[in-house]
Amino acid sequence: MKKTFKIGGVHPNDSKISASCKIEKLPLPKTVYVSMAQHLGAPANPVVAVGDSVKTGQVIAEPAGFISAFVHSPATGIVKSIAPRQDLAGNWMNHIEIAVAEEEVWAEGIDVSPEIVTEIPADTAFIVNRIKSNGVVGLGGATFPTHVKLCPPPGKKADCLILNGAECEPYLTSDNRIMIERSQEILIGAALMQKVLGGCPAVVGIEDNKPEAIKAMSTALDALKAKSSDYSGIRIQILKKKYPQGGEKQLIAAVMKREVKSMGLPIDVGAVVQNVATSLAVYEAVQKNMPLITNTMTITGDCLPQERQHNYLFRIGMPLSYIAEYAGGVPQEAAKIVSGGPMMGKAIANMDACTVKGSSSLLYLTEKQTRRKAESNCIRCGKCADACPMGLEPFLLNKCAKNGLMDELEQYSVQDCIECGCCLYTCPANIPLLDVIRLAKGDVIKIIRARAAAQKK
Amino acid sequence: MIVSPSPHLHSSLSTRRLMADVIIALLPAVILSCLLYGWKELFLLGVSIVSCVGVEYLINRFLLKKPCSVGDLSAVVTAVLLALNVPVSCPWWVLTIGAIFAIGVVKMTFGGLGQNIFNPAIAARVFLLLSFPTAMTSWDYIPTGLFGSVDAVSGPTLLGLVAEQGLDSVAGLDWKHLLINTCGGSAGELSALALIAGFVYLLARKVIKPWITLSILGTVAIFALVYALVAQPAMGVGAFVAFHLLSGGLLLGSIFMATDYVTSPMSDWGGVVYGVGIGLLTMLIRCFGAYPEGVSFAILIMNMVVPLINKGFHQRKYGRA
Repeated sequence: MKKTFKIGGVHPNDSKISASCKIEKLPLPKTVYVSMAQHLGAPANPVVAVGDSVKTGQVIAEPAGFISAFVHSPATGIVKSIAPRQDLAGNWMNHIEIAVAEEEVWAEGIDVSPEIVTEIPADTAFIVNRIKSNGVVGLGGATFPTHVKLCPPPGKKADCLILNGAECEPYLTSDNRIMIERSQEILIGAALMQKVLGGCPAVVGIEDNKPEAIKAMSTALDALKAKSSDYSGIRIQILKKKYPQGGEKQLIAAVMKREVKSMGLPIDVGAVVQNVATSLAVYEAVQKNMPLITNTMTITGDCLPQERQHNYLFRIGMPLSYIAEYAGGVPQEAAKIVSGGPMMGKAIANMDACTVKGSSSLLYLTEKQTRRKAESNCIRCGKCADACPMGLEPFLLNKCAKNGLMDELEQYSVQDCIECGCCLYTCPANIPLLDVIRLAKGDVIKIIRARAAAQKK
Repeated sequence: MIVSPSPHLHSSLSTRRLMADVIIALLPAVILSCLLYGWKELFLLGVSIVSCVGVEYLINRFLLKKPCSVGDLSAVVTAVLLALNVPVSCPWWVLTIGAIFAIGVVKMTFGGLGQNIFNPAIAARVFLLLSFPTAMTSWDYIPTGLFGSVDAVSGPTLLGLVAEQGLDSVAGLDWKHLLINTCGGSAGELSALALIAGFVYLLARKVIKPWITLSILGTVAIFALVYALVAQPAMGVGAFVAFHLLSGGLLLGSIFMATDYVTSPMSDWGGVVYGVGIGLLTMLIRCFGAYPEGVSFAILIMNMVVPLINKGFHQRKYGRA
């Protein structure tokens, strides 16, 4: 039976134009720039110096705190500089510049053979260590360090590992493609994480608009189950298409019928959610000792003809302008280029920015598609409240925020907003609800944190 | 290149589209009333639309000096509802006065669409009823109904007749003749079927949710049932209940006026409370009040309670069970 979450949600046209485009490997550019902020948390500290020669997969930066991650060289070459550079939003961040050599040499201990390793190691510490040392972070958007998520705080136990294959954002097809082309590896990754979490069952949630992926994953799962009992605890759950099904809280509600408390974590209700791309990275890290230096991204948009739609296997550190150029250039009709999906992705301000572990797309939107229309009066239709997957009342939050009513904002749970954009997407009066609510949410969370800190004292 | 925060797409839902859907949903009732009452009804409709849109345009242009808002079609919705709320014999200038009151006083004074406390069409109807009682209660076609002096109700609608006597009773009759002779009321009260068709359309297009309408009708049905069981009217219990549900302005009010976004509660349960309130007040006025019909007053009174209902009722939040 197909499942979905109950509260709110919207049904944008899914526009999966590039769903049938096989993953192609992008060649390396002459120079790569590797950002130190590839993950959520503290930017990593470089451990190489200008002039050093590096091999592909070699550690070039170390975590700078508990929530941080290793960064590895995506190429063989010589470190040219370590200097601030702008990311896609225009923020300055330290980058390691590497001049790429002709010949690729892999760092020792990395298995680059194509064979699939299905045996699950017995030692959980070994698995966690591999995940950590290979710099695996969540690839569903938040890029939270994976090893942290796989080690629940004392007293909390995982009842279910949910693999997120919902890919509910319109246009994006990279998860779809890896589920079709790398299904076994994804499932092995799931089994590895199950092992770490103490053998809880695992559910792969896939939306019903990806029949090919559902079929490939089911076939791969049957093959693995026939081979070893390590895979008996995994099942595939088909989900009814609805945005934002891939939101952690919505996916938990859809699959487990449990709801995470306000300001709480999924592990509070016994859930650990990992994206399918993360699961693939976990497989590579543990079974192949392969660091996370590649990921899949979609090049798409209505203004691109079918033959110019692509799914690319990219390395981190590639300039977006290089990728766009390689894919045939930016189409003339494109008025906005989005990194990520059209609902939650970021508009790119700087095409010289480089790919990071979590990059997922170059989405070209036309002026007609994306230009905001003039705001008119709120007609109190309540459609924003019906669309909100957190059950909030965006019209009310908008009003409270505009009047600076911080207590009311907290009372009406602005801090629970997941910034999915359903309210703004739906509003018939084109009121920029999320723009206002996002700012108010930041302020309220600051107040909540300051109050908690004051109480501790 | 455009750089702006997410989301980068919009559903293309617009105020104009929602209002256009309401107008489409009103079309069956409008067409039927034009067929029955002829050119006069069409003329009144035209006067109403020109007056409402004109008043909004003039106020925007000369008083507020703001960009013109008539394109959102909300003035047209008010105009059609207003025209459906007056008898066909009503002089055209009464409608114009109603339009000035609806748009000028009830809507624009509060800041235009979305800011008004009362539904403009309902408020204007009551205003006209109190100001021009003769014009608002004299009928070209049927002078009397079950409730004596006719404010809104006169006899059972077509659906009521069918419900009472079965389909065979209407099969052999000339439809126009039948309708004119058995139904009365202002244009919008003519045919329950036409209004229900509009309701189904609004639900199918997800313009409104059914809760407000259903709770009004449910409350009226229960009230009528209890009242009939106690008072034992001559027409019989079932007929009494059907009569109250299908006659008068109840369907028009509960489907098109009580569900007005601006003046109804934001949450589903709030809508139910609001609907039960309207149903109760309607029946109290119908059965015990001085006026024969109470839907307009009931909606106006409950409009005033909406801010309070909104304080008390909210949608269910995620993770706060």
